[in-house]
Amino acid sequence: MKLQILNEIIHKKSSNQKFALLTNLTNGNSEIFEFGKLLSNDFESYKKQIEEYHSLKRNGLIDGSQIFIQNFTKPIEVFVVGAVHIAQYLVDLFKNLNFVITIVDPRKYFVTDERFPNVKIINDWPEEIFKKLQTDSNNALITLTHDPKIDDPALKHALKNKFFYIGALGSKKTHTKRCQRLKESGFTEDEIASIHGPIGIKLGGKSGPEIALSIVSQLVLESNKLLLNSNK
Amino acid sequence: MEKQIKRTILEQARDWFRSDRKVILVRVVQTWGSSPCPVGSKMIVNDKGEFFGSVSGGCVESNVIEECLDLIKNNNSFKQLEFKVSDDNAWNVGLACGGELKIYIEKIIS
Repeated sequence: MKLQILNEIIHKKSSNQKFALLTNLTNGNSEIFEFGKLLSNDFESYKKQIEEYHSLKRNGLIDGSQIFIQNFTKPIEVFVVGAVHIAQYLVDLFKNLNFVITIVDPRKYFVTDERFPNVKIINDWPEEIFKKLQTDSNNALITLTHDPKIDDPALKHALKNKFFYIGALGSKKTHTKRCQRLKESGFTEDEIASIHGPIGIKLGGKSGPEIALSIVSQLVLESNKLLLNSNK
Repeated sequence: MEKQIKRTILEQARDWFRSDRKVILVRVVQTWGSSPCPVGSKMIVNDKGEFFGSVSGGCVESNVIEECLDLIKNNNSFKQLEFKVSDDNAWNVGLACGGELKIYIEKIIS
Protein backbone atom coordinates (compact mmCIF):
# COMPACT_ATOMS: atom_id res chain seq x y z
CA MET A 1 0.00 0.00 0.00
CA LYS A 2 1.25 3.44 -0.88
CA LEU A 3 2.13 5.84 1.92
CA GLN A 4 -0.13 8.42 0.29
CA ILE A 5 -3.16 6.16 0.86
CA LEU A 6 -2.13 5.47 4.44
CA ASN A 7 -1.89 9.24 5.03
CA GLU A 8 -5.28 9.79 3.44
CA ILE A 9 -6.88 7.16 5.70
CA ILE A 10 -5.32 8.72 8.81
CA HIS A 11 -6.54 12.15 7.77
CA LYS A 12 -10.09 11.00 6.96
CA LYS A 13 -10.34 8.99 10.17
CA SER A 14 -9.22 11.90 12.32
CA SER A 15 -11.81 14.17 10.67
CA ASN A 16 -14.51 11.51 11.27
CA GLN A 17 -15.33 10.89 7.61
CA LYS A 18 -17.16 7.85 6.26
CA PHE A 19 -15.25 5.99 3.55
CA ALA A 20 -13.86 2.59 2.57
CA LEU A 21 -10.49 1.20 1.58
CA LEU A 22 -10.53 -1.07 -1.47
CA THR A 23 -7.72 -3.51 -2.15
CA ASN A 24 -7.22 -5.77 -5.13
CA LEU A 25 -5.59 -8.77 -3.45
CA THR A 26 -4.21 -10.14 -6.73
CA ASN A 27 -2.00 -7.13 -7.52
CA GLY A 28 -1.86 -5.18 -4.25
CA ASN A 29 -3.48 -2.01 -5.65
CA SER A 30 -5.46 0.01 -3.12
CA GLU A 31 -7.84 2.91 -3.44
CA ILE A 32 -10.13 5.03 -1.24
CA PHE A 33 -13.86 4.73 -1.94
CA GLU A 34 -16.53 7.30 -1.15
CA PHE A 35 -20.03 7.60 -2.59
CA GLY A 36 -19.92 9.47 -5.88
CA LYS A 37 -16.18 9.01 -6.41
CA LEU A 38 -14.93 7.59 -9.70
CA LEU A 39 -13.11 4.29 -9.45
CA SER A 40 -10.07 3.08 -11.36
CA ASN A 41 -10.04 0.02 -13.64
CA ASP A 42 -9.14 -2.29 -10.78
CA PHE A 43 -12.48 -1.67 -9.08
CA GLU A 44 -14.87 -0.02 -11.56
CA SER A 45 -16.63 -3.24 -12.61
CA TYR A 46 -17.55 -4.01 -8.97
CA LYS A 47 -18.93 -0.54 -8.26
CA LYS A 48 -22.49 -1.66 -7.51
CA GLN A 49 -21.42 -4.33 -5.02
CA ILE A 50 -18.89 -1.99 -3.44
CA GLU A 51 -21.65 0.56 -2.84
CA GLU A 52 -23.87 -2.12 -1.35
CA TYR A 53 -21.16 -3.42 1.01
CA HIS A 54 -20.35 0.15 2.02
CA SER A 55 -24.00 0.96 2.81
CA LEU A 56 -24.22 -2.13 5.00
CA LYS A 57 -20.83 -1.38 6.61
CA ARG A 58 -19.82 -4.90 5.63
CA ASN A 59 -16.10 -5.70 5.48
CA GLY A 60 -14.91 -8.54 3.29
CA LEU A 61 -14.22 -9.91 -0.15
CA ILE A 62 -16.75 -8.80 -2.75
CA ASP A 63 -18.59 -12.01 -3.80
CA GLY A 64 -16.76 -13.93 -6.49
CA SER A 65 -13.77 -11.59 -6.57
CA GLN A 66 -10.43 -10.82 -4.97
CA ILE A 67 -11.52 -7.26 -4.15
CA PHE A 68 -11.40 -6.57 -0.42
CA ILE A 69 -13.43 -3.76 1.09
CA GLN A 70 -12.75 -2.35 4.53
CA ASN A 71 -15.17 0.27 5.81
CA PHE A 72 -14.29 3.17 8.04
CA THR A 73 -17.47 4.37 9.68
CA LYS A 74 -18.23 7.69 11.23
CA PRO A 75 -17.95 7.22 14.98
CA ILE A 76 -21.02 7.91 17.09
CA GLU A 77 -20.76 11.31 18.75
CA VAL A 78 -21.79 11.18 22.38
CA PHE A 79 -22.81 14.31 24.28
CA VAL A 80 -22.34 14.06 28.01
CA VAL A 81 -24.23 16.74 29.92
CA GLY A 82 -22.62 17.32 33.30
CA ALA A 83 -18.85 17.55 33.83
CA VAL A 84 -19.21 15.56 37.05
CA HIS A 85 -16.91 12.82 38.35
CA ILE A 86 -18.79 10.05 36.49
CA ALA A 87 -18.02 11.94 33.27
CA GLN A 88 -14.31 11.65 34.05
CA TYR A 89 -14.62 7.86 34.22
CA LEU A 90 -16.71 7.85 31.04
CA VAL A 91 -13.91 9.60 29.17
CA ASP A 92 -11.49 6.85 30.22
CA LEU A 93 -13.83 4.04 29.22
CA PHE A 94 -14.74 5.55 25.85
CA LYS A 95 -11.09 5.96 24.90
CA ASN A 96 -10.75 2.53 23.29
CA LEU A 97 -14.19 2.45 21.66
CA ASN A 98 -15.39 3.96 18.40
CA PHE A 99 -17.14 6.96 19.99
CA VAL A 100 -16.33 10.66 19.95
CA ILE A 101 -17.20 12.35 23.21
CA THR A 102 -18.16 15.97 23.94
CA ILE A 103 -18.77 17.18 27.48
CA VAL A 104 -21.21 19.97 28.08
CA ASP A 105 -21.76 21.92 31.30
CA PRO A 106 -22.83 25.52 31.93
CA ARG A 107 -21.15 25.55 35.36
CA LYS A 108 -17.67 26.98 34.97
CA TYR A 109 -16.15 25.33 38.07
CA PHE A 110 -16.84 21.90 36.60
CA VAL A 111 -15.42 22.71 33.19
CA THR A 112 -11.66 22.79 33.48
CA ASP A 113 -8.83 21.34 31.45
CA GLU A 114 -7.34 19.88 34.61
CA ARG A 115 -10.46 17.82 35.22
CA PHE A 116 -10.85 16.90 31.56
CA PRO A 117 -7.55 16.85 29.66
CA ASN A 118 -7.62 15.69 26.01
CA VAL A 119 -11.39 15.80 25.57
CA LYS A 120 -13.71 18.27 23.88
CA ILE A 121 -15.53 20.21 26.57
CA ILE A 122 -17.94 23.14 26.16
CA ASN A 123 -18.86 25.57 28.93
CA ASP A 124 -22.39 26.61 27.94
CA TRP A 125 -26.05 25.63 28.29
CA PRO A 126 -27.07 22.56 26.24
CA GLU A 127 -29.79 24.59 24.46
CA GLU A 128 -27.25 27.10 23.19
CA ILE A 129 -24.78 24.43 22.12
CA PHE A 130 -27.29 22.30 20.23
CA LYS A 131 -28.57 25.38 18.36
CA LYS A 132 -25.18 25.60 16.65
CA LEU A 133 -24.72 21.89 15.88
CA GLN A 134 -26.02 19.45 13.31
CA THR A 135 -27.23 16.36 15.18
CA ASP A 136 -29.14 13.23 14.16
CA SER A 137 -29.56 9.52 14.81
CA ASN A 138 -25.77 9.06 14.81
CA ASN A 139 -25.67 10.87 18.15
CA ALA A 140 -26.12 9.74 21.72
CA LEU A 141 -26.90 11.71 24.85
CA ILE A 142 -25.99 10.98 28.45
CA THR A 143 -27.28 13.42 31.06
CA LEU A 144 -25.59 13.35 34.44
CA THR A 145 -26.51 16.54 36.32
CA HIS A 146 -30.06 15.46 37.33
CA ASP A 147 -30.79 19.17 37.44
CA PRO A 148 -33.88 19.73 35.26
CA LYS A 149 -32.79 23.13 34.05
CA ILE A 150 -29.60 21.66 32.60
CA ASP A 151 -30.70 18.12 31.64
CA ASP A 152 -34.23 18.70 30.35
CA PRO A 153 -33.41 20.96 27.39
CA ALA A 154 -30.77 18.44 26.27
CA LEU A 155 -33.23 15.54 26.59
CA LYS A 156 -35.85 17.44 24.59
CA HIS A 157 -33.34 18.20 21.84
CA ALA A 158 -32.22 14.57 21.69
CA LEU A 159 -35.81 13.28 21.48
CA LYS A 160 -36.71 15.74 18.72
CA ASN A 161 -33.59 14.90 16.72
CA LYS A 162 -33.99 11.15 17.19
CA PHE A 163 -30.68 10.41 18.91
CA PHE A 164 -30.20 6.63 18.80
CA TYR A 165 -29.41 6.49 22.50
CA ILE A 166 -30.63 8.74 25.31
CA GLY A 167 -29.82 7.98 28.92
CA ALA A 168 -30.50 10.02 32.04
CA LEU A 169 -28.87 9.56 35.42
CA GLY A 170 -31.13 9.75 38.47
CA SER A 171 -33.15 7.54 40.80
CA LYS A 172 -36.48 5.99 39.81
CA LYS A 173 -38.23 8.82 41.63
CA THR A 174 -36.21 11.47 39.81
CA HIS A 175 -36.91 9.74 36.53
CA THR A 176 -40.67 9.54 37.16
CA LYS A 177 -40.74 13.29 37.76
CA ARG A 178 -38.63 13.82 34.65
CA CYS A 179 -41.04 11.76 32.54
CA GLN A 180 -43.95 13.80 33.91
CA ARG A 181 -42.28 17.07 32.88
CA LEU A 182 -41.58 15.74 29.39
CA LYS A 183 -45.18 14.59 29.07
CA GLU A 184 -46.36 18.06 29.99
CA SER A 185 -44.04 19.43 27.29
CA GLY A 186 -45.92 17.36 24.72
CA PHE A 187 -43.71 14.30 24.21
CA THR A 188 -45.48 10.97 23.59
CA GLU A 189 -45.33 7.95 25.89
CA ASP A 190 -43.20 6.09 23.31
CA GLU A 191 -40.73 8.92 23.02
CA ILE A 192 -40.40 9.20 26.77
CA ALA A 193 -40.05 5.43 27.13
CA SER A 194 -37.10 5.49 24.73
CA ILE A 195 -35.04 7.29 27.37
CA HIS A 196 -32.90 4.90 29.40
CA GLY A 197 -33.68 5.96 32.96
CA PRO A 198 -32.36 5.23 35.45
CA ILE A 199 -29.38 5.03 33.11
CA GLY A 200 -27.14 1.98 32.63
CA ILE A 201 -27.45 -1.78 32.74
CA LYS A 202 -27.73 -3.32 36.19
CA LEU A 203 -24.24 -4.27 37.37
CA GLY A 204 -25.13 -3.78 41.02
CA GLY A 205 -22.34 -1.27 41.66
CA LYS A 206 -22.65 2.15 43.21
CA SER A 207 -19.18 3.69 42.76
CA GLY A 208 -18.43 6.25 40.06
CA PRO A 209 -16.34 3.92 37.86
CA GLU A 210 -18.95 1.16 38.14
CA ILE A 211 -21.80 3.49 37.16
CA ALA A 212 -19.71 4.76 34.24
CA LEU A 213 -19.07 1.15 33.17
CA SER A 214 -22.78 0.34 33.32
CA ILE A 215 -23.56 3.38 31.13
CA VAL A 216 -20.88 2.56 28.56
CA SER A 217 -22.05 -1.07 28.47
CA GLN A 218 -25.61 0.01 27.73
CA LEU A 219 -24.49 2.39 25.00
CA VAL A 220 -22.32 -0.29 23.37
CA LEU A 221 -25.20 -2.78 23.55
CA GLU A 222 -27.59 -0.34 21.88
CA SER A 223 -25.08 0.64 19.19
CA ASN A 224 -24.45 -3.02 18.33
CA LYS A 225 -28.21 -3.62 18.06
CA LEU A 226 -28.32 -0.72 15.63
CA LEU A 227 -25.57 -2.26 13.51
CA LEU A 228 -27.25 -5.69 13.53
CA ASN A 229 -30.57 -4.22 12.42
CA SER A 230 -28.99 -2.34 9.55
CA ASN A 231 -27.34 -5.58 8.36
CA LYS A 232 -30.59 -7.56 8.25
CA MET B 1 0.02 14.08 35.13
CA GLU B 2 -0.49 14.59 31.42
CA LYS B 3 -2.45 11.76 29.84
CA GLN B 4 -1.07 10.31 26.67
CA ILE B 5 -3.35 10.32 23.66
CA LYS B 6 -3.59 6.83 22.25
CA ARG B 7 -2.10 6.42 18.78
CA THR B 8 -3.97 4.36 16.26
CA ILE B 9 -2.32 1.39 14.56
CA LEU B 10 -2.17 3.27 11.26
CA GLU B 11 -0.58 6.34 12.87
CA GLN B 12 2.03 4.08 14.39
CA ALA B 13 2.68 2.57 10.93
CA ARG B 14 3.25 6.05 9.51
CA ASP B 15 5.62 6.96 12.34
CA TRP B 16 7.66 3.81 11.74
CA PHE B 17 7.80 4.56 8.03
CA ARG B 18 8.97 8.12 8.72
CA SER B 19 11.78 6.82 10.89
CA ASP B 20 12.96 4.62 8.01
CA ARG B 21 11.59 1.31 9.25
CA LYS B 22 10.17 -1.15 6.75
CA VAL B 23 6.50 -1.59 7.61
CA ILE B 24 4.04 -4.36 6.79
CA LEU B 25 0.27 -3.91 7.17
CA VAL B 26 -1.53 -7.13 8.09
CA ARG B 27 -5.30 -7.52 7.75
CA VAL B 28 -7.86 -10.29 8.24
CA VAL B 29 -9.70 -10.59 4.90
CA GLN B 30 -11.81 -13.72 5.42
CA THR B 31 -12.84 -15.96 8.32
CA TRP B 32 -14.67 -19.29 8.67
CA GLY B 33 -16.09 -20.69 11.87
CA SER B 34 -15.19 -19.05 15.13
CA SER B 35 -12.29 -16.65 15.05
CA PRO B 36 -11.68 -13.99 17.65
CA CYS B 37 -10.78 -11.12 15.35
CA PRO B 38 -13.35 -10.07 12.75
CA VAL B 39 -12.65 -9.37 9.08
CA GLY B 40 -10.87 -6.03 8.81
CA SER B 41 -8.78 -6.49 11.99
CA LYS B 42 -5.37 -4.90 11.62
CA MET B 43 -1.85 -5.43 12.80
CA ILE B 44 1.46 -3.82 11.78
CA VAL B 45 4.92 -5.35 11.81
CA ASN B 46 8.29 -3.67 11.22
CA ASP B 47 11.66 -5.03 10.10
CA LYS B 48 12.79 -5.34 13.74
CA GLY B 49 9.91 -7.74 14.38
CA GLU B 50 8.01 -5.24 16.53
CA PHE B 51 4.25 -5.37 16.16
CA PHE B 52 1.03 -3.61 17.16
CA GLY B 53 -2.57 -4.71 16.87
CA SER B 54 -3.93 -8.22 16.52
CA VAL B 55 -5.39 -10.57 13.94
CA SER B 56 -6.24 -13.66 15.99
CA GLY B 57 -5.99 -13.08 19.70
CA GLY B 58 -2.52 -14.56 19.91
CA CYS B 59 -2.89 -17.86 17.97
CA VAL B 60 -1.07 -17.01 14.74
CA GLU B 61 0.72 -13.72 15.41
CA SER B 62 4.20 -15.24 15.74
CA ASN B 63 3.84 -16.98 12.41
CA VAL B 64 2.48 -13.84 10.77
CA ILE B 65 5.49 -11.84 12.02
CA GLU B 66 7.86 -14.39 10.47
CA GLU B 67 5.98 -14.19 7.18
CA CYS B 68 6.26 -10.39 7.29
CA LEU B 69 10.01 -10.56 7.91
CA ASP B 70 10.31 -12.97 4.95
CA LEU B 71 8.33 -10.60 2.76
CA ILE B 72 10.77 -7.80 3.64
CA LYS B 73 13.83 -10.03 3.16
CA ASN B 74 12.65 -11.26 -0.25
CA ASN B 75 11.62 -7.76 -1.27
CA ASN B 76 8.07 -8.77 -2.14
CA SER B 77 5.14 -6.40 -1.81
CA PHE B 78 2.22 -8.58 -0.71
CA LYS B 79 1.12 -12.12 0.16
CA GLN B 80 -1.97 -14.02 1.28
CA LEU B 81 -1.72 -16.38 4.24
CA GLU B 82 -4.19 -19.03 5.30
CA PHE B 83 -4.46 -20.58 8.73
CA LYS B 84 -6.48 -23.70 9.44
CA VAL B 85 -6.73 -25.91 12.46
CA SER B 86 -6.04 -28.90 10.23
CA ASP B 87 -2.66 -27.58 9.11
CA ASP B 88 0.31 -29.91 9.55
CA ASN B 89 1.87 -27.35 11.81
CA ALA B 90 -1.25 -27.10 13.94
CA TRP B 91 0.83 -27.71 17.04
CA ASN B 92 2.78 -24.56 16.35
CA VAL B 93 0.30 -22.07 15.09
CA GLY B 94 -3.04 -23.86 14.85
CA LEU B 95 -6.16 -22.03 15.88
CA ALA B 96 -7.32 -23.53 19.14
CA CYS B 97 -10.76 -22.04 18.50
CA GLY B 98 -11.27 -24.31 15.47
CA GLY B 99 -11.68 -21.39 13.10
CA GLU B 100 -9.93 -20.63 9.84
CA LEU B 101 -8.73 -17.34 8.56
CA LYS B 102 -7.22 -15.71 5.54
CA ILE B 103 -4.77 -12.89 6.12
CA TYR B 104 -3.32 -10.37 3.68
CA ILE B 105 0.07 -8.84 4.33
CA GLU B 106 1.40 -5.89 2.33
CA LYS B 107 4.38 -3.58 2.43
CA ILE B 108 3.91 0.18 2.88
CA ILE B 109 5.71 1.84 -0.03
CA SER B 110 6.48 5.50 -0.78
